[in-house]
Amino acid sequence: MTDFLTLILQQSVNGIYLGCLYVMVALGLTLIYGVLNQINFAHADFVTVGAFTAFFTATRLATKVLGMPDIAAYLVSLVTALGAGAVLGVVVSAAVFAPLRRSGADELRPLIATIGVSVLLENGQLALFGPVPYQFDSPLARETLRVGRIFFSAHSALVVAVSIAAIGALYAFMRFTFIGKALRAVAQDRETAGLMGINQNLVIALTIVIASALAGVAGALLGPVVVLTPFTGASLIVKAFACVIIGGFGNMEGTIIAGLLVGIIEAFTVQYLGSGIIDLVVFAMLLAMLVLRPTGLIAERKEENV
Amino acid sequence: MAAAPWLITTPYWRGILVLCAMNVMLALSLNLVLGYTGQLNLGQSAFFAIGAYVSTILIKTYGWNFWLAALAAIVAAGLVGVALAAFAVRLRGHYLAIASLGFAVITYQVLINWEDVTEGVRGIYGILPPVSDTVGLFYLVAGIAFLIYFLLDNLVRSPVGDTLRAIREDEISAASLGVHSAVWKAFAFGLGAAIAGLAGVFYPGFVGTLVPDAFGIIESFTMMAMVIVGGAGTMIGPVIGAVLLTFLPELLRGVGELRLMIYGLALTLVVLFMPGGIVQAWVAVRNRLRS
Repeated sequence: MTDFLTLILQQSVNGIYLGCLYVMVALGLTLIYGVLNQINFAHADFVTVGAFTAFFTATRLATKVLGMPDIAAYLVSLVTALGAGAVLGVVVSAAVFAPLRRSGADELRPLIATIGVSVLLENGQLALFGPVPYQFDSPLARETLRVGRIFFSAHSALVVAVSIAAIGALYAFMRFTFIGKALRAVAQDRETAGLMGINQNLVIALTIVIASALAGVAGALLGPVVVLTPFTGASLIVKAFACVIIGGFGNMEGTIIAGLLVGIIEAFTVQYLGSGIIDLVVFAMLLAMLVLRPTGLIAERKEENV
Repeated sequence: MAAAPWLITTPYWRGILVLCAMNVMLALSLNLVLGYTGQLNLGQSAFFAIGAYVSTILIKTYGWNFWLAALAAIVAAGLVGVALAAFAVRLRGHYLAIASLGFAVITYQVLINWEDVTEGVRGIYGILPPVSDTVGLFYLVAGIAFLIYFLLDNLVRSPVGDTLRAIREDEISAASLGVHSAVWKAFAFGLGAAIAGLAGVFYPGFVGTLVPDAFGIIESFTMMAMVIVGGAGTMIGPVIGAVLLTFLPELLRGVGELRLMIYGLALTLVVLFMPGGIVQAWVAVRNRLRS
């Protein structure tokens, strides 16, 4: 019986850690959707760029050139990945989202345009880095910690810590700063916010940059634990969408809960059903959710004018 | 079109011709759903896969006649298309896009995991085309693509086409005028899926092998690039898009990733600067020349 309980606990811990990774990826998607009502399909590829940036920072630049110790180098790589994500956010905001917003395009055009960006980024990275997986050796991933009879890697503890810090910082930003308040105002009603003197273009650009920076950090956290190829992010995109939809599009709390839920369900699926069908289980959940409750776990009321 | 195999004589380029005819069929199939009915379906690659796998398995495992198997594959893809439309009835815009994307990924996972039937990632080998020489295959596929073009062209000019366009422009208003949008969406999805399935019937014989990787979601995106670059919601646009995006990367002698980089870039640039695709740009140029 205690073995069974240990197993449940162990898989729950694994699930929470996985869930934190998914939350980090999905949070940016939901943030952009909440403010803009649009999807950045290239979001997951920003994750990949973050992962490669972190890889080259941690294993080449910081250790080989600057001579930093392993752990410090990895922490520095989190910051450079954040920077890489933010830069991509600036570019995609200025080059894709802003022009389409000015031309008054319908909701699907930005999605299609960013699918193009996604295909471009994936295959651009394929041309640069090749299809052979990279071995991102993080010192923390090798370290195993033990609490009672539950084992986890130091890396997973870091993932959970960084996720909590990122979510906390985002919350504080949204609640307590003026720009955060402006951001929520734009999310609620763009036109009225504009009338109140809020520069909505700036706020929207900022939202995209923050979301993309989160994607970069998510990449740095994912890098050491996944098979790092140009398609690492792409393999996550539908799972990230699953989190966003299960949580209710644009709803941050819902996305966080859904991300943890998907992580835990994945951990138990691996334990009891095998790893081959994880995607099937998650997408069956996604489709069931779409049919039964398309508004997500936490519904937001929206009216439609004809 | 008929003269193409004489102008192009190397086997490699004749192969590209066959591929081009298949792409035209796929672009036409997606255009019915995306261009005319206005439903962003990212799952079209799944119907292509269903057509390919159902026909191949019926022929290789059960010894069916090619054309009988083709018919079964078309029906199977069409029925699954109608089933996907059950989601499209309830979902719009982004939600439908993601649901159909999920559907494509599930289909891909089933192809990989259901090894007893699909052979999984090992793939199915030694598949023979219905016509042994490339030129004959080209005439067959191009002829069918032409027939589909002709039929769809008549369809979109008919009141059915008006109905589909009404759903695209404003579904709620269309419903208030008595359009059963659920039925017509199911019709568009089913027909589009059946045509994609038909294209899939010819693919395995042409390549000789069948692996799940040929039907990843990137295939949905390349079809979408063809439709959008050519001009969604026009009949000739997707044909131009398919021909252009099949031949242009070949002319540049690109390897795989370069080809797809061009697709991605073309898709983004066209959406940004030329939302009606080549057809709309051509009309604009012609009007300017006239005035």
